[in-house]
Amino acid sequence: MSRWLLLLCGCLPLLAADSYVGSTVCKTCHADVWLNFYKNPHYKSIASGDQPPERTGCEGCHGAGKPHVDAHGGKTTIPRAFSLMQPKAVLDACLSCHARDLSKSNIRRSQHSLSDVVCTNCHSIHKPRSAQFLLAKQQTDLCYGCHADVRAQFAMPFKHRVNEGFMACTDCHNPHGAFAPTWGMADRPRMVARAEGNEEPCLKCHADKRGPFAYEHPPVRVEGCGACHVAHGSTNAKLLERPVVFTLCLRCHNGADKFGTRNNGIPALSNTHNMLDPRYQRCTLCHVRIHGSNSDGYFFR
Amino acid sequence: MRKILLTGWILTAQALLAQPVVAPTPDQAGSPRGANTGDYNVMDSFETGYRFAVVDGSMGTYRSDVNYGNGLRLLSGNLSVNSRDGHGRWFDQIVLNAIGLGNDPYQSVTLRVEKNKLYRYDLLWRLDDYFNPGLPVAAGLHLMDTSRHMQDHNLTLLPQSKIQFHLGYSRNTQDGPALSTVQLCFNGNIYCGTAGNEFPVFENVRREQDEYRVGADVDLAGFKLTVLHSWVFFKDDSGYQANGAAAGDNPSTGVTLSQFQRAEPYHGASPYWLGNLNKSGKNLAVNGRVTYVDGKRNFILDENAFGAVPLGAQNQQVLVGGDAARPSLTGDLSVSVFPTSRLTLVNNTSIDSTRIDGTSDYEQFNLATQTAGFIAFRYLGLRTIANATDAHYRLRNWLSFYGGYHYSERRIKDIEEYAVPGPFSGATYEQENHLEAGVAGIRIKPLKAMTINLESEIGRADRPFTPVSDRNYHALGGRFEYRVKNLTLGTSYKENYNNNSVTLSSYSSHARNYSANASWTPRDWFALDASYSKLHLDSLSGMVFFAGPAATASLTSNQVYISNIHAANLVARLAPVKRVELYLGYSVTRDTGDGRGAAAPAGATDPATLIFTPVQTFPLNYQSPLARVSIRLREKLRWNAGWQYYNYHENFGLFSFYQGYHANTGYTSLTWAF
Repeated sequence: MSRWLLLLCGCLPLLAADSYVGSTVCKTCHADVWLNFYKNPHYKSIASGDQPPERTGCEGCHGAGKPHVDAHGGKTTIPRAFSLMQPKAVLDACLSCHARDLSKSNIRRSQHSLSDVVCTNCHSIHKPRSAQFLLAKQQTDLCYGCHADVRAQFAMPFKHRVNEGFMACTDCHNPHGAFAPTWGMADRPRMVARAEGNEEPCLKCHADKRGPFAYEHPPVRVEGCGACHVAHGSTNAKLLERPVVFTLCLRCHNGADKFGTRNNGIPALSNTHNMLDPRYQRCTLCHVRIHGSNSDGYFFR
Repeated sequence: MRKILLTGWILTAQALLAQPVVAPTPDQAGSPRGANTGDYNVMDSFETGYRFAVVDGSMGTYRSDVNYGNGLRLLSGNLSVNSRDGHGRWFDQIVLNAIGLGNDPYQSVTLRVEKNKLYRYDLLWRLDDYFNPGLPVAAGLHLMDTSRHMQDHNLTLLPQSKIQFHLGYSRNTQDGPALSTVQLCFNGNIYCGTAGNEFPVFENVRREQDEYRVGADVDLAGFKLTVLHSWVFFKDDSGYQANGAAAGDNPSTGVTLSQFQRAEPYHGASPYWLGNLNKSGKNLAVNGRVTYVDGKRNFILDENAFGAVPLGAQNQQVLVGGDAARPSLTGDLSVSVFPTSRLTLVNNTSIDSTRIDGTSDYEQFNLATQTAGFIAFRYLGLRTIANATDAHYRLRNWLSFYGGYHYSERRIKDIEEYAVPGPFSGATYEQENHLEAGVAGIRIKPLKAMTINLESEIGRADRPFTPVSDRNYHALGGRFEYRVKNLTLGTSYKENYNNNSVTLSSYSSHARNYSANASWTPRDWFALDASYSKLHLDSLSGMVFFAGPAATASLTSNQVYISNIHAANLVARLAPVKRVELYLGYSVTRDTGDGRGAAAPAGATDPATLIFTPVQTFPLNYQSPLARVSIRLREKLRWNAGWQYYNYHENFGLFSFYQGYHANTGYTSLTWAF
């Protein structure tokens, strides 16, 4: 009742503002955290000097500090003690500022959020390993920590150079959730970041495969690179799904009804292809422009 | 004191999950807090040293896999400068990280320079020297020895204000020698059939993509509007040539090549627009996005080949000119509702429309005796509509559920036209695929240190595009984790099954992954990490093929592919004496197949057995032990040395070629801070 009265007289904001003590009070006890906090991106809220108390410094994330000060400490007296909070509450707290970043547009429906993997599972605000994104560990180790099968894929003889430090998981994936893929059925995979032009992230680097070509190899555009390639690691130097190329091609080129652009099967080999001859088992020996060609519908040149 | 010295070390000791390459050394020199200089704090650590590699066996495979060589490098560099009050004169933060500069095949530099409220600049520069083994070795895969340079510059003006401006530039170049192939027959036909012979031709790869971006973010009335426009220019000026007589891959035809030249400039632009509107509130969040990409390429091909057939010298020219376009429009609308603190509902609708068309005018001249020409045209239209509804509900603090229903519909329209010359037939092909999928999962947290996740998905599509596409699939997964201060235990299982049966053929794949890992830090100077994964994949594909030089009837068979990959990793990190840190690691990856032989049985005459039996399984063994020592000589100086051994062995001979190798690599370096 008294709260409603305060609200009616417009005094509630004043009361709320009084609950904020300022970061300088926090540092009295938490000197270890404060010591390096000027290196933290969140320090901007203090340096700017123009943010309201609820968006400034320690209390910007942890909430008003007066109850905590009055109680002489204790985690339970902190309005937002992240180690005690439920995953959704953590997500809500961080998204109160970060929700509107374009890269986090799909965070609410991301597989991570659905599985209760939220901000503090990967980010450490006070003990980060990386200054830029405040990651709790090196990025690969963070991801491998849960995705052990992916770590095994990167231990294959041929792989993208992630363990070497040349590239990172986030070159291709958006751990905050991605827009629906424009390849496949727009359903899987769900955490793959798209290149700016809506295409697969592969094309950010492999720009020569992007096209458009007068003759596109249809599965490249329709199903995506994953129709033939395994991005993480393979026993094939071109990261193909099969070590031998003809077994890959013949999986689809068997004329099976109801597949392909014409619904009548993806063209099977012609009878000039004697598969007992190793020459014909090297499909890309002749079909050199297998991703797409401007000159030839059969990708000869 | 020892505990203090190990403070930074312990952080990394909990992060040993991936076996890294032996260098650079993760241990930093200098004070972990940096040094104050005026109004700034500076932290820096640079590692310079010599890397070596001694390789025995297939150098091509080594270069494709590892590719480290000999020489001096700046193995790593880390610099950060921070203003201590957030009011630096020109900047408030500089963060610079570099690896491999100088000679390593993988080099990168990241740089951030930032002045609070005024600007933020990010640079990412990378170089990748990549090698692919050559033709007979890789069974049709082309040799490539190219360098890829990539750089991304992003500048944000007024990063903390309600109106922000973005400027960006990215450049991606690829150049270097490569080996390609061309099939020729000099008989005037566009396609050679059995009369063709294949010749290697040198390719001088020269590709370049430049992208310019300009955009703005506007925060107004609780909405955030993002607008971005970009211009992307791409050109491929790779040239092909061959000089000198070559017998080719099929000498029985009598077709030889003495000189070959192909110019194929391919230039174009892909400008795009992006608009995004976001509104986030306590009970509702909405995000809408529209993008449009207008891709266009112009091309011409001029190819001259000089050679011979048994009847005499031949000369062939091919000319092709045309263009290709691919406009693409995409829209997304995502609505999130939070009726209670325990429930989240999200609905997302996406629409994508892509059209690909182009004309290609092909002309082929053969020594003034025959001329063949045709105009070809192809259109491929894709339109996809997808809608997904997901719900997440926390029943108790230790128990939560999620579930979702996803629906998508894709229409593919195709027109393929050829005129030699002649009128187009106008035949159009159209098909639709509908996919319905459901997802569900549970998260249980019975103890603070224990988490159990279970997830599942099932999907049904009625007309997938290829036999390997998802049609009748399900995925199951589970993960268990126990984490206390110095011990982490985890195990997981994931399976993904897809069946795509049709009347003539069938395709099915079963993937099952099992993983277990443990990290243990019993002392502040000792940490152990171990992991094991088994990745199983078996697939069954329906094959249609011809066997024999005069075969007229196709044969059918099923092809089995089985892969059982066991990957294990063991790492120990310890500080046995003061100032010394030791890292020991061992990684092994082994594909055991399922015991099937990797060769056709002796005396077999059945074509399917001869063709497909040797390619059912590819057992191999790949091991890599490593050891590294790092000694702190002074507060700002460390000496490091390391050794890493690679042993790659294939238990199969791909076209009778064994690509195994073993290599000793290592380095010695100094890490210093100033």
